[in-house]
Amino acid sequence: MSADRSLSSRMSLRMLLPTVLAGAALLTACSPYEMRHDNQSDARTQIWLSEESQVKIRAAQTRVFDTKDRRKLLQAIVMTLQDLNCKIDVLDEELGIVSAKKYVDLEQPTFFDPSYVLYRPDTLLFLTRTYRAWGPFYHRSDLVRLTITVRDRNESQLLVRASAQFYLRAVEDPVPYQQFFRTLEQAVFLEGHTVE
Amino acid sequence: MNKSTMHITLLGTGLLLAGILFLQSCAAPQPAPDLLAPTEAQMKIRSLQTRTFDLTDRKAAIRGVIASLQDLGFIIERANEGLGLVTAARFAEPNYYDVVTITVTVRQETTDKMSFRANAIYNNKPIEDPKVYQNFFAALQRALFLSQESTPSS
Repeated sequence: MSADRSLSSRMSLRMLLPTVLAGAALLTACSPYEMRHDNQSDARTQIWLSEESQVKIRAAQTRVFDTKDRRKLLQAIVMTLQDLNCKIDVLDEELGIVSAKKYVDLEQPTFFDPSYVLYRPDTLLFLTRTYRAWGPFYHRSDLVRLTITVRDRNESQLLVRASAQFYLRAVEDPVPYQQFFRTLEQAVFLEGHTVE
Repeated sequence: MNKSTMHITLLGTGLLLAGILFLQSCAAPQPAPDLLAPTEAQMKIRSLQTRTFDLTDRKAAIRGVIASLQDLGFIIERANEGLGLVTAARFAEPNYYDVVTITVTVRQETTDKMSFRANAIYNNKPIEDPKVYQNFFAALQRALFLSQESTPSS
């Protein structure tokens, strides 16, 4: 009986090692926010940030609409962005630009992180004075940003291009754009064509 | 199973676990396919966010929106007459470090009907409480000096 107990206690001691290892890996190597981001040490890495073919991304981001009513299309874009719970940041009818943002909860401070001690977690990014400097990064990566441009393609068509940013990177997956254009098509009662 | 093989198995399991955890928590999150698609909840509150008033003057409608937002203590951030868009923000009670932002669009539905759509966001979460929108539209109605009843549009 006592031999059994000592064996089981030794077993649990051995089980402790992997648990500690895993816990240490989680705490030290992985919890920092910075580990999940590329360290862009020079301009070249920034230029080559996009992995996918530019042509492919552009095709996924672009749709052609058979209308010349720029204002109607822009209104539909604004309505679609409202459907997405976005906040419109930039709107220029003449240039045909709409930019919007929204927050998605991605970053949660799991453990105490001394680099965030200076920042109150309940304030938002744009309220802090160090908005563009080292700051509350949780909110920065939570930001989903969108820019939609409308321009003339020919005498009877308009070209809409949407580009999104998620977790500080450009969205290269075509599926979110398909979803976006599907919503936009419903709002404008027109079918968008891909550019041949 | 002898002692040494058990030891190796345990160690292997531990390393594997640590490896999985290492990989998981270090990978950047990928955008969900429905990142740019409206959610089910949003479609539900859409009708609550929209109200139609009998109005013909588009400019007066936008001015009414701005006036009602001012009545509610909002600071106007941008107003676009051509596209009928007004965005505004204010700090929220009780501590005044939370922010409420609101986007209102005005759209001519027919010649004598104007449709208003309001979206409010509390910090980073969309407000889904219908009462908030009812309050806003009540303030808007007051600002527009309308005596007639407004009907929620479908």
